[in-house]
Amino acid sequence: MENSFATPPSPVLRCDGCFTAISDVDVYCANCGYPLKGTPDEQKRFIYRQNKSDFDLVAFTKRVKNAGETLYYLAGYFIFAGLVNTWHFWGVDNMLAIVIPNLILAMLFVALAGYSAKKPLACFISGLALYVVVEILIIVNNPGSIGLVSLIIIGVIIGYLIKGIKSAVDIEKIKRQHNIV
Amino acid sequence: MDLEDNLIEAKPACVNCGVALNAKSKFCNICGAHQNSQGLQEAESKWPLLKQATLFYIILIVSCALPKYVEYFDTTFWAFFFEVALWITIVAFFAINWRENKKLLSWQSFSWQKLCAYLAITITGAFSIHYAMGWLNVVIFPNNELFDKATGSGFLYSAIIVFFTAITPAVFEELGFRGYLMQSLLKISDKQQAIYVTAFLFAILHLQIVGLVWLLPLAVFLGYIRIKENTLWYGISIHFAFNLTACIFQLF
Repeated sequence: MENSFATPPSPVLRCDGCFTAISDVDVYCANCGYPLKGTPDEQKRFIYRQNKSDFDLVAFTKRVKNAGETLYYLAGYFIFAGLVNTWHFWGVDNMLAIVIPNLILAMLFVALAGYSAKKPLACFISGLALYVVVEILIIVNNPGSIGLVSLIIIGVIIGYLIKGIKSAVDIEKIKRQHNIV
Repeated sequence: MDLEDNLIEAKPACVNCGVALNAKSKFCNICGAHQNSQGLQEAESKWPLLKQATLFYIILIVSCALPKYVEYFDTTFWAFFFEVALWITIVAFFAINWRENKKLLSWQSFSWQKLCAYLAITITGAFSIHYAMGWLNVVIFPNNELFDKATGSGFLYSAIIVFFTAITPAVFEELGFRGYLMQSLLKISDKQQAIYVTAFLFAILHLQIVGLVWLLPLAVFLGYIRIKENTLWYGISIHFAFNLTACIFQLF
């Protein structure tokens, strides 16, 4: 008789960090690593770190998106430049010498931008290298065309792409740290 | 008996304290250790690897662009100097991870049939590219000279041209791109991405935009064969055959 009163259906224990079911012998949560038997300070620090990772993930995802948009911007720029050049050099002897490289670059950037959602890392690295080489070629062929404004724009574009690459790598690192892969 | 039980149940043990874990455990429930420490290490080593590869690529771009575009360096001495600088850089970076990379230098899948087939594809490709690009260059650059015809003659001259445009590029570009760079990229991303990124970086290092039309497919072909055969030698042979064909067009 006594026994039936002493054992009410015990509620399932759940982790405070991720709410998966745990058992009372666990020292740490097997799913997220939350210190179940740790001091309140340790637990608070764990939750803080996890929240920070969540915020970081959001920020990094945004940077990856920005880098993808940068590739679209470059694609648009080269298409626009190609159209302007076609109109400007129409009928000139070496029109194709200007328009065809332009067209090739536009096509490459469109392809890189299009695939950047699927394979961000590969597209950002390729896009960054291509952009740097193209700017080198432009500067070498026409040193007078580079002013302060264009240098700033080049810097901003390179910055966005590098941030995109770093963020794509960091996202994977955070996912591995918290075992969300 | 104990061992058999272990094999049947295949319960994973904690990498840190050795306690038996659930198959689905991501962390040890006793000591809190992360159970995929290898994956974590891999993820953490990616950014440093990328930085190293960037340094490698910047050195390559500088050594290619300076003798080509800066007038001061436009002499035979400097051309040779930068060429040697390229070789040293490539060998040094390849040797950073020598223990792993030296496997690429063995040729275990060697077969004459395969080699001949690859070379046949390459030489056919080289001929088609030569004529297609010849036509394209006439269309695009009507005012320019078609190709740089060789200016000298004689056996020594030909030997030097063949050495610097067919042999050394084949060896060092393969070591640098399909060797060092691809090995690094394989640790950073998957095979497919590694092939495309190396191909892209290889193609644009030639610093010509119209040339990308044929450089990109060639580089993807080389990367694909490097991954498929797991050796650098097919790539080196193909690259050599390709450059030699171009070289012969230039000399004769």
